[in-house]
Amino acid sequence: MDKPLLMRMDNVSKQYHMGEIVVDALQPSCLDIYAGELIVVLGPSGSGKSTLLNLMGGMDRSSGGRIIFGNREISAAGDGELTSFRRERVGFVFQFYNLIPDLTAYENVALAASLIKDPMPVSAVLSEVGLAQRANHFPAQLSGGEQQRVSIARAIVKKPPLLLCDEPTGALDFQTGISILALLRQITTTIGSTVIIVTHNTAIAAMADRVVRMRSGIIAEISYNETPLDPERIEW
Amino acid sequence: MPILNRRLWRMVVSGKGQFAALVSVVMLGVTIYISMTTAYLNLYRSQQAFYQQCHFADYFFSVVKAPQDITTRIETLPGVVAADSRIQKDVSFLRPDGGRGTLRLTSYQLPMDRQLNQLVLLNGRMFSTEPSNMPEILVDPQFAKGLDLEPGAVLDVVAGGKIVHLRVTGTATSPEFVYPMKDASSIIPLPGEFGIAMVPYKQAEQILNLQGQVNQISLQLAPGTNEDEIKQAVNNILATYGNLAAYSRDGQLSHVVLKTELQQLRVMSRFLPFLFFTIAAGMQFLLLGRMIRLQRSSIGIMKALGYDNRSIITHYVSYAVLVSLSGALLGSVLGIGLAVLLSDTYAMYFSLPSNIGAINYRAIIYSFLITLGVGVASGVLGCRGVIRIQPAESMRSAAPVRGSHILLERLPWLWERLNSSWKMGLRSTSRNKTRFTIMATGVAASVILLMLGFFMQDAIDYMMLQHFEKEGLYDYLIHFSSPIKENDLAYWQQWGEVAELEPVLEIPVSVSIADSSGAQCEDDVLQGLKQGSWMQGVFSPSGQRLSIPDDGVLLSAKSAKKLKVPVGGHIQVESKMDLGPGHTMTLKVVGVSQQLMGGGSYVSLQTANRLVGESAMLTAVMVKINPSQSAAFETRLRDLTSITSIVSRDKEKANFQELLKSAIFSIVFMVLFAGILALAIAYNASLMNYNERKNELGLLRVLGYTNGEIRGVLLKEIGLQSLIGVIIGMPLGKWVANYYIATSATTDMYAMPAVIYPRTYFFVAIAAVIFLVTGFALITPRLARLDLVETLKNWD
Repeated sequence: MDKPLLMRMDNVSKQYHMGEIVVDALQPSCLDIYAGELIVVLGPSGSGKSTLLNLMGGMDRSSGGRIIFGNREISAAGDGELTSFRRERVGFVFQFYNLIPDLTAYENVALAASLIKDPMPVSAVLSEVGLAQRANHFPAQLSGGEQQRVSIARAIVKKPPLLLCDEPTGALDFQTGISILALLRQITTTIGSTVIIVTHNTAIAAMADRVVRMRSGIIAEISYNETPLDPERIEW
Repeated sequence: MPILNRRLWRMVVSGKGQFAALVSVVMLGVTIYISMTTAYLNLYRSQQAFYQQCHFADYFFSVVKAPQDITTRIETLPGVVAADSRIQKDVSFLRPDGGRGTLRLTSYQLPMDRQLNQLVLLNGRMFSTEPSNMPEILVDPQFAKGLDLEPGAVLDVVAGGKIVHLRVTGTATSPEFVYPMKDASSIIPLPGEFGIAMVPYKQAEQILNLQGQVNQISLQLAPGTNEDEIKQAVNNILATYGNLAAYSRDGQLSHVVLKTELQQLRVMSRFLPFLFFTIAAGMQFLLLGRMIRLQRSSIGIMKALGYDNRSIITHYVSYAVLVSLSGALLGSVLGIGLAVLLSDTYAMYFSLPSNIGAINYRAIIYSFLITLGVGVASGVLGCRGVIRIQPAESMRSAAPVRGSHILLERLPWLWERLNSSWKMGLRSTSRNKTRFTIMATGVAASVILLMLGFFMQDAIDYMMLQHFEKEGLYDYLIHFSSPIKENDLAYWQQWGEVAELEPVLEIPVSVSIADSSGAQCEDDVLQGLKQGSWMQGVFSPSGQRLSIPDDGVLLSAKSAKKLKVPVGGHIQVESKMDLGPGHTMTLKVVGVSQQLMGGGSYVSLQTANRLVGESAMLTAVMVKINPSQSAAFETRLRDLTSITSIVSRDKEKANFQELLKSAIFSIVFMVLFAGILALAIAYNASLMNYNERKNELGLLRVLGYTNGEIRGVLLKEIGLQSLIGVIIGMPLGKWVANYYIATSATTDMYAMPAVIYPRTYFFVAIAAVIFLVTGFALITPRLARLDLVETLKNWD
């Protein structure tokens, strides 16, 4: 890979303790992530893909191994440092949008923009996701696809090097889902963010630069797509 | 339904902070209700029992002197059930420290069983009526305590120009001496300075040289008797004996004080619990409603399993009932304890023969009923929305929260300046108007309580300032046993201790509107002061200082109000002083005076002397002494037999400060109750807010907001409702204070000021903020423990 290395995960593992039971959500795994690429993490429910995403995004702490972003070891970072990491380096897109119901579309995006010194202009970002006309609407007044677009706008307004998407099309119909995927693909070129999409939908893997297949908490396979498919041509 | 009960118990345990906050509000309301109603009932019943047992008179008349058997004529009047006569006169006594005090000798006939205003022996033995060269007396218990008098002690009094030794045989009380007061201006107790001495009639007539004479008549009237007619008829009979005063029981000093105290207790025992119960009802309604909304899927499951609506309602109402029962139980225990404390405090100031210390079972039962009713109502109201939903629907996620634009957005110049957390807070507030209103009302209630507490301190400070630094600037006020001439005091001026003297002529008068043929008259005291008097400040009802007029009168506010005489009107004043035939005079009302305590009507010394047909006469003198000369001055006075009483301003001030220590008790309690209420409200509001917005707060953390920043998000909404509560609470608190003053702290004898200093608003705001921030701080550890992954999973 000739793109610069963005994040290295070195024997990273995660265990959950539920009373007397210990669940190996992620077994020691290694993964290198490069700038500007689109990775799809594929796997069935319980395979550890969301755990991997949460660890990448500093939303959870690993039980073992190291996670290095740039020249910072975020696996050993304190709470404040992790917050800064999420603030400055990461954007999140969730399955169920997670918008603030008391803020309009514009304000939801501004919420994230206000965290950093040099964000993208909020109106411009909303235009980029095709929602300039709906800026003054509340989430309850938007369709699922529109809400997801606002969520994406909120994630990219900070120009994050790393954009993490957990089942971004899971709650959407096919057509809407395709449009969202197209938007995510676009982001890797327009903003240059690394986009990582976690999904159980194998059809989406076709658009990725790399596909990480997971099974039972293990990275079973990492494969490269020589010619990633245009999202508009994906079918499921 | 044991399983549901188990679930109920787990709900309580898992939300114990919230449960405790709710219980504390209910508990406080019950504590106040039970303690105050119990104290009120106990004091009231003690009073009524005592009055009945001792045949407390309905009407009192004072004359210069009349034959002892005058009562025979009076008893023939229709409506008069019984009439008694006695001697009552103030004499000075010699204190162990060499100073002088005043003793009110009051005569009693033995046996006492058919007398009015009977005595109850508290300690020692009844006095003997046998002639003796050392007459026996009983004294009131506060006086005995003030001078450490034990049975057998000897008191020296000055009477009839000589020193008389009296042996104290014990202590006693009577309905008219429950709160012994020298006069209307002496509401501050003077233990060891003023006391009541109960003496056999035979001894009294000897000591005071009033053989076969009396100067007081008291009456018991049949129910429904017209008191004004009786007063007129008796005054006519007593006219030739020098009418000095006539007043009903409602004008009797001790009774007025006790009655006022009862009124205050009554007002507080209704208002304060009402406040707490209302807030408790609101909070339970809100919290239960929220709890039920959050558990809608559980409710759906219960319905799907086959539980009917009644069972589900009963289950949730049981939570509210548990809150009510716990609060009522704890409050009852605390209330009874506080009632005992209150009753003991009253026992210190009121000489009642026995304090009826019964537990007020009715108040306890009412407390349980009220709190249970509140709990059941809030539970049922909270349940009603969810109960209507079908099981399948209630197991689905609730409809998403609908944000909407608010009015403030119409001011874009302001709205655009607000950051996201302000916008979230304001819109959330707008969306949850009921919750906001109830919580802001709770904060307002807390502020009202704080205002009441701090206002009492302001009133005390004002009274100290006004009474001791504006109204009375003398060091000593000395009354003489009979009027003297100004020249008689000439040699006092030569005493090194005396810096300045101001004569006073006090004349008991009857005041009526001029040219009204005395249709309505009021008893008053005319105080003649020298023009330019600086030792006695006279003030108008609005607090403006008044000058002693050359002619005319500064009429007392009490007489002006009762006679409805305006400034500029004329009154007829009739002297009731024992100086020959009665004198009358018409005077123009040039102003209205109202002193903080006591007071009367004020004229120049010349006008007062003209009224009684004298010149340069005085009955008292105000003295300013040179620094550090008190002891020497009092030594000089010791040998003067013409003095009836000596009031030392310093001692009066010290006694007042001692009396006020018990007021601090009330203030502390008020602030404590306000604090607990504010804490409970802030905690519950913060908790509700946190629980409802946990997902948003988790998202903000994911986005990169720090713990401090998300604390700020929550604090803004709490802060807003607190600010509104404080803004509403302050004027309401002032209104409540004024209402309290008007209904229970203003009498003919004293007018508690409705003063709230600006500093009080500041202190109240600070105290409210401290309590509210503390309540909020109790939930902030939860923010730090937010599990980001879990909260985002549960977003739907």
